Amino acid sequence: MTVAPERAAGRGTTSAPPPAQRLSWRDKLGRLDAKFTPYVVIAPFFVVFGIFGLYPLLHTAWVSLHEWQLIEGDQGFTGLANYAELLSDGNFWNALGNTVSLFLLSTIPQLFAALGLAALLDRGLRGRAFWRAGVLLPNVISVAAVALVFAQLFGRDFGIVNALLGFVGVDPVDWRAETWASHLAISSMVMWRWTGYNALIYLAAMQSVPKDMYESAMLDGASRWRVFWSITVPSIRPTILFTVIVSTIGGMQLFVEPQLFDPGGTATGTGGDDRQFQTLVMYLYEKGFRLFDAGYSSAIAWVLFLVILVVAVVNFTVARRIASKG
Amino acid sequence: MGKTPVGRATAVALAATVVAACGGGGGDAGDGKVKLSIGVFSDFGYTNLIKEYQAAHPDIEIEQRTVKMEQHHTQLATQLAGGRGAADIVAIEEGNITQFRQSKDKFVNLADHGAKDLESQWAAWKWNQGTTDNGNFVLGLGTDMGSLALCYRRDLFEAAGLPTDREEVGKLWPTWEKYLEVADAFSAKLPDKKFVDTAQNVYKAILDQTEEGYFAKADDSFIGDKNDKVEQAFTLAASLGEKKQTGALAPFSQDWNVALKQASFATTTCPAWALALIKAGAGDEASGKWDVAAAPGGGGNWGGSFLAVPKQTKHPKEAYELAKWLTAPEQQKRIFKETGNLPSEPAAYQDPEVTATENEYFNSAPVGQIFGNSAESLKPTYRGTKDSKVTPVFGNALSRVETGKQSTADAFDQAVREARDAVK
Repeated sequence: MTVAPERAAGRGTTSAPPPAQRLSWRDKLGRLDAKFTPYVVIAPFFVVFGIFGLYPLLHTAWVSLHEWQLIEGDQGFTGLANYAELLSDGNFWNALGNTVSLFLLSTIPQLFAALGLAALLDRGLRGRAFWRAGVLLPNVISVAAVALVFAQLFGRDFGIVNALLGFVGVDPVDWRAETWASHLAISSMVMWRWTGYNALIYLAAMQSVPKDMYESAMLDGASRWRVFWSITVPSIRPTILFTVIVSTIGGMQLFVEPQLFDPGGTATGTGGDDRQFQTLVMYLYEKGFRLFDAGYSSAIAWVLFLVILVVAVVNFTVARRIASKG
Repeated sequence: MGKTPVGRATAVALAATVVAACGGGGGDAGDGKVKLSIGVFSDFGYTNLIKEYQAAHPDIEIEQRTVKMEQHHTQLATQLAGGRGAADIVAIEEGNITQFRQSKDKFVNLADHGAKDLESQWAAWKWNQGTTDNGNFVLGLGTDMGSLALCYRRDLFEAAGLPTDREEVGKLWPTWEKYLEVADAFSAKLPDKKFVDTAQNVYKAILDQTEEGYFAKADDSFIGDKNDKVEQAFTLAASLGEKKQTGALAPFSQDWNVALKQASFATTTCPAWALALIKAGAGDEASGKWDVAAAPGGGGNWGGSFLAVPKQTKHPKEAYELAKWLTAPEQQKRIFKETGNLPSEPAAYQDPEVTATENEYFNSAPVGQIFGNSAESLKPTYRGTKDSKVTPVFGNALSRVETGKQSTADAFDQAVREARDAVK
């Protein structure tokens, strides 16, 4: 509705040459144009962000200050009571511990593996396009399908992993029952999905490293290993920082992989029979959508937000140190 | 930059679309037809019935929405909270209906449309599950029920030197204590096979045969910590786990299906709807190997659903009429024949057509009769408002016993503690 009249007006001004005194009006318009158009152009993002990002964020904060039943809604203002309860809630700390453990187990090996993979892909391989597309494949497959396959691999009675372990004389592992075993299994799923993705990002960065730097280093007699750590890694530092931040956010919000790994599903939502692999987001989901305690669930969401901020800053600092060495 | 007006207009239009997208809502078709939607999970057997209803009521158009069961109830909760998006008729499963009873103000009281006149159609306990406020508020009309039987593998029973005839098998275990004795006899002969898939379902079956479980019938208060029946049921089921006679499987999980296929366990509790799951899991090669016997401890019920009408509907009257028709005995009978979902109305489950039904896959067991009898003799258990919050806690505890992580006593203590927290 708004489009038509403005367009018509626009056409009107161009088709009929305006009289002299209207030139200044057009001048003014031009100035306004230069001043405000950039804002108007970026406005859609902020409008969308406001509606789908900021509003839910603030609403969640508001809900977290209340006793709030999912269906019935507001049951009264309670201030910071939800947060106070959260801090003394053993299940919350358990979930936080699991989240951090899963994050470390999956992210650190993953980023190193991605770095190595990228370095390999950066060399003159035969069928380069094939390999490059190949590493991204795990990321393209639906996570539900991935979880289904991994659930079979890590099956207790008839899983392939246990069968292989049996060949080397290791007793079958109950991958869902043991804490460390379940963390390993879930981490392997996360790594499988995201290593290739990060490798491609690193590869893109590596290709913009000037080749003459490599050449002069080689001339100076540096080994491949030395060149990699002294030239390649420092050169792609910003990219490494980017992947660290993105992996942190993803890792702390880990939900789908462990949730689908849990045979109880969302019907129990506890991440194993003793909450051995329940992550923060799983706990949030259990509280909010199985137990209908939206207020508490919102408090978890906000604490999670703060945790991510803190972990991201720490990671950023650490990664910057590491990457700037040499 | 010369295209500013257009750019600006686009921005405005974009913003407008976003706002419009948020404000979108359901409505009626332009042709004056009343559009009804019905939200179900798994297979309710409504597809053909809906076509028939539309043919008989040309002014009504029906859309069926099907999602997975867990998702269905979560989705419904958020739709009720948001005040929009719910179907005009929604299915609610027995285990979940207690939770929605709390929010009855979000639903149409079907008594206002005359539902009370239908009361005599249903088995009394089924009708009561769908009502609240001492029967004055009719929240949902009963669809199917689960009833309860015990499925067993004939070949494994034979190998263990146990009888294989379903009558005799039923006589082996008049009580759950006897069932445990059969388990011991079985394990002595076939130590490599498991007697039952999971302690969790045995526990649920035993508990559902008691009058009161976790909550007091009188005032809905939590009594799971002092009700002896809960601890007894837990200890009975857990003893199977302690003796490693269970497969320690999460019910109906992927591993459960694999175990079915591999014939690793010999018995499983089976409500009527579980027959299809067993058949799908065990596959064609196991045809005739599974059979159905009466459950220990008398009848029981597990599962079954209700049709409710959310208050946000624009057509409560039409929605009620459709729900009433879909849950009538005639239709329940037809659904049974098509899908095997057991009717919850005596007029349907006592009908010769239903009682004469045999299930070929299960060694031609007279399932209509077995499940009908079980439903007749059941003592309905009281389900508290917060039942669904507590149930998983005890399931997890049994799983910890089965995997050898905790002793029965420790697991039970932890479960009671967690349950108290959950009902706080």
